[in-house]
Amino acid sequence: MTQRLTMENLRKWVPLFVLIGLVLFFTAVNPNFLSLRNFARIAISSSPALMVATGVTFVILMGSIDLSMEGTIAVCAVLFALMLNALGGSLSGAGWLAIPGALLIGAVLGAVNGLIHVKLKIPSFMASLSLGFVGIGLSLLITGGDRILIEDPIFRSLLTVRVGGFPLMAWAALACLLIAWFIQDDTTVGRNFYAVGGGEDLARASGLNTGRLRVTGFIVAGIFYALGAIFAVARLGIAETETGQNFMFVSITSVVVGGTSLSGGSGGVWNTLVGVLIVNVIGNGMVVVGLPDYFQDGVLGLLVIAAVYLSTDRRSLFFVK
Amino acid sequence: MFELQNVEKRYPGVHVLKGVDFRIGDGEIVGLVGENGAGKSTLMKIIYGAVRHDAGNVLVDGVPVSFSNPRDAMKMGVGMVYQEQSLIPNLTVMENIFLGFEKPFVRFGAIKWKKMAEAAGKQLRKVKLDIDPAMITSKLTFSQRQLVELAKVLTLEERVEGKLVILLDEPTSVLSKEEIDLLFGLVRELRGRASFIFVSHRLDEIVTLSDRIYVLKDGAVVDVMNSAEADIETIQKKMVGRDVNHEYYREDKQRPYDDGHVLLELDHVTIAGRGNDVSLNLHAGEVLALVGVEGSGREPVLRTIFGMKKPEKGTISIRGIPVRSFSASESVSHGVGYVPRERKIEGIASGMNVFENMTLSQMRNYSKSGVLRIPAERELARDWIRRLSIRVASENSDCGNLSGGNQQKVVLAKWRSSGSEIILLDHPTRGLDIGAKEDVYEMIRDMSADGVGIILVADTLEEAIGLSHTIAVIKDGEIRKWFNCQPGSKPSPYDLIRYMV
Amino acid sequence: MSFIKNYIEHQTLNRRNLLLLSAWGLCGAAASSSLIGRQAAAATSPDPKICWSYRDRTNPFWNSIVAGGEAFVRSLGRQSGDLINLINGGSSEKSLSDIQSLLSRYGSGVALAVDPNDMPNCRPVVEAVSHAGAYVSTIWNKTDDLHPWDFGDNYVSHMTWSDVGPSEQTARVLFDAMGGKGGVVHLGGIASNNPAIERQQGFKNALKAYPNIQLLAIQAADWDTQKANQVMSGFLTRYGDAIKGVHCASDTMAYGVIEALRAEGIENMPVVSYDGNPQAIEMIAKGKLLATVFTNAYWAGGITASLAYYAATGAFKPSAEPREHREFYGPTAVITTKDAQEFKTKYIDTNPEYNWKDFWSLAKGPIRYKS
Repeated sequence: MTQRLTMENLRKWVPLFVLIGLVLFFTAVNPNFLSLRNFARIAISSSPALMVATGVTFVILMGSIDLSMEGTIAVCAVLFALMLNALGGSLSGAGWLAIPGALLIGAVLGAVNGLIHVKLKIPSFMASLSLGFVGIGLSLLITGGDRILIEDPIFRSLLTVRVGGFPLMAWAALACLLIAWFIQDDTTVGRNFYAVGGGEDLARASGLNTGRLRVTGFIVAGIFYALGAIFAVARLGIAETETGQNFMFVSITSVVVGGTSLSGGSGGVWNTLVGVLIVNVIGNGMVVVGLPDYFQDGVLGLLVIAAVYLSTDRRSLFFVK
Repeated sequence: MFELQNVEKRYPGVHVLKGVDFRIGDGEIVGLVGENGAGKSTLMKIIYGAVRHDAGNVLVDGVPVSFSNPRDAMKMGVGMVYQEQSLIPNLTVMENIFLGFEKPFVRFGAIKWKKMAEAAGKQLRKVKLDIDPAMITSKLTFSQRQLVELAKVLTLEERVEGKLVILLDEPTSVLSKEEIDLLFGLVRELRGRASFIFVSHRLDEIVTLSDRIYVLKDGAVVDVMNSAEADIETIQKKMVGRDVNHEYYREDKQRPYDDGHVLLELDHVTIAGRGNDVSLNLHAGEVLALVGVEGSGREPVLRTIFGMKKPEKGTISIRGIPVRSFSASESVSHGVGYVPRERKIEGIASGMNVFENMTLSQMRNYSKSGVLRIPAERELARDWIRRLSIRVASENSDCGNLSGGNQQKVVLAKWRSSGSEIILLDHPTRGLDIGAKEDVYEMIRDMSADGVGIILVADTLEEAIGLSHTIAVIKDGEIRKWFNCQPGSKPSPYDLIRYMV
Repeated sequence: MSFIKNYIEHQTLNRRNLLLLSAWGLCGAAASSSLIGRQAAAATSPDPKICWSYRDRTNPFWNSIVAGGEAFVRSLGRQSGDLINLINGGSSEKSLSDIQSLLSRYGSGVALAVDPNDMPNCRPVVEAVSHAGAYVSTIWNKTDDLHPWDFGDNYVSHMTWSDVGPSEQTARVLFDAMGGKGGVVHLGGIASNNPAIERQQGFKNALKAYPNIQLLAIQAADWDTQKANQVMSGFLTRYGDAIKGVHCASDTMAYGVIEALRAEGIENMPVVSYDGNPQAIEMIAKGKLLATVFTNAYWAGGITASLAYYAATGAFKPSAEPREHREFYGPTAVITTKDAQEFKTKYIDTNPEYNWKDFWSLAKGPIRYKS
């Protein structure tokens, strides 16, 4: 029994060991890697991804999957930028309304996603994937393929102003992560996500309304995608359909590499933070040590397999579909 | 000859088989009886290779063998006719018969359907079943499927040199009288080539068909008798083992229930898909046991009361108020609690700790506008850990790692602490060791002393008799007979069985 | 929300046309099967249908191509909507089957402008058109062994762009701005894309003439703004202040680079790019970007349709033209800080009026094959 418990404990810490190992490796090859300035760079590229990955963490905890993030981000980013520019172009004026506006849009898209999944009983994989395409189409329709620029210096201060060596964006993302942590550990919905993921039948037999809960999960995810969209726009000053690009792979990879189980019920937002950092440390480190980029994709792919392998207790599985 | 010597099997927290010796000679028909949970199914799984034993030997003709899966066992001539239908419904009969053994019919990678149909026809003739082998299995009746199962196992005749051992698990439960006679005739004809292990709840059939009978109780063989000398009553006594122990079921603590206080009423309720008619009253402080054979319709009654199924007709009233909308969350808010049979699936969330499990059904009481009051949850959990002497390191322990008994205590604590007044218990002591069972009995007594109404589907008949105030015998979904079960005037298991089968 | 209305109208039109075409295609397939083996004679038609077949409109380049095509159609006194849009969405199969449907519907009375989506698809498209006796002009994708002059008049012309020269020019602008010395990095497109290869080649050619410029690194950022942003911050860690200039293979990547620099408070690093998107030109005008290359997709879209149309009407006879009029490079212009403002007024804020009968006015000479 103790043997097994230590193995369980080890398994929990594997992602963090991987992260530390990567940092040590890249530092050994190029000492510049281990510097505040570089960590700030990693933080910038991690912030939007962290929000998106945190959002999808909740859905994955429930044992569902959400692949709609690219479309949701595209729509939120584009509408956020349009609203901001229409409301005077600056957060100092009425423009700040664009932030709650974007979060609301994220929530609505999440709700639609969840309702389609729950009410029409379509597997979340298919429902969200299709809705993602709808989102991309919608944002193309709105922009006609154009890019929307945001020049507002107050908004861009998320990137340009630094506190303690890190840009405001990184602190804001950290604050959002703390909120996510609070939702996960200290609220009824957070607890219920784990219950549904750990055993939907059990949750139902305990009197939980699992359908409503799933929809809530998708709404929470949608709000975090919107946050991700805002950070992505802050990072580049551009809102376009392509703003959402690549987030599906990066966020799902991060969640899985961080040790949250795809079958639901175990893991959490801190795992996701570690996962996001692993993915972004690889992205940054590969350039810093000068390895070719096709290497990056290969390494990431191998990491996902390793992470999934390590994060599940294979003895309890008879076969895998 | 097939033999088990001193076979042992343990699951976490349970000692399922304790040094079982079992022998079956060529052409012999051996009956295997025991109560639910006595270890019959584990024993069978070891025989046909689905489960590995921890210690002891399995011998075929005196040679030790080791089966790592059912296919290994089949190669040695051991085949299983499953009780729960193992045929794949969307395949044809012949595909099912030769599932996994298509090789003789494959030429250049393609299956010769005609050849397979001929071979399947031959197998079907062995069980005197006249159907087209190319029929889709789902179109068959239950009894036809049962015979196809047998035909499938009989393909071993051609495939294996030497003698066969065929396990029949409750083969008669879905068959009519004529079909049973046909099956028994077949079994007798086939004994020239095969020996049979016959498992059934119907003791008369066991006595009629078998040569010898093994009685299993609490994981050990308590008796082996020749059926010529056996009678049903003796077998029953051996199965139950001890004389009903009044202490064991805390009968001294059984108090009369409050006759005037009806908690739950079912008025001519038709359970979805069963076309039956169930009426019952549950009073405060009453333990009402539903008794019946497997598949008699006890569980659907519980699930309907819990709101997981909507009744087709009739009304369910809780405290005199008819229930209008049916869902588990609705029932929970009316104070109904449900302890399901499959603890791992519907009872305990492994991966969640003790206090999280306990408050799962009552988070409303432990949160304020959606924010949990975790210290209060911990306090509750610590309290119940103490009261029920749950053996855990702390309230933070993962429930998945607890023993079955402790898990069950957590589940009961969950419903008790949320103030449920109607508690539905489905096999609450399944898979528990004796100590844990006694703890559960104690809790049931405590609950009914507190005025909780309990509907119990017990693991064994004696458990039902020992614990309950009232017994309803269910057969084919209908309540056939009511027994009053006051201490001192309790019915015997035999009284009940008469109405069950 | 009028843009939605416009878009939907636009799309329904396309949709309806296509459905009709497909229906015709089914009947036509039966009819044309009886004509197999009979090469349709090159017949001219007084009023051919004009059609553009391309990927989709979401990318600024293709958006300009179609805008040019529509401008040409208007120059004939027709409506923009009379231009038939065949959108292949990146599928060669769809590209070919749509064109076949169109041909079975209208026969030889069609003038087509086509990007065949990939090089192998060009031959079946050209063969289908010439078989039907219609006229086609292609851009971008064509195999080296396929030539318009092998098809008489029906394969009117092919236009493509060579990126080596302009890319070398922007690199020279960059190196001059760096004072001819210091470290430089190059961010390339998807490594296997032809434009990515050519643009990198141009950059390397320029390096040879500047011995004091030190090449620090070349890394693909897949035409992607975010990826370029991440790659650039990696470069900053790796080389720090040694980087004195950045050469980007596209505008989109330059945006990411500039934002990565901005995050570090670096505002005056010289950066050059490629493609000439309006946003890039604006940045040049503001001094944030040093140079980009304009490919004049608007003119290319109009002139390709015009070539096919006037060949179809018989206004000129392609087979009588010299080879450099059948295969030629499209226009490129390097835009720098000096001419950005003027360029913006002329090409971005409005589109210049072109004489669509002056077919080769902006062409950059005959296509040269490597071997």
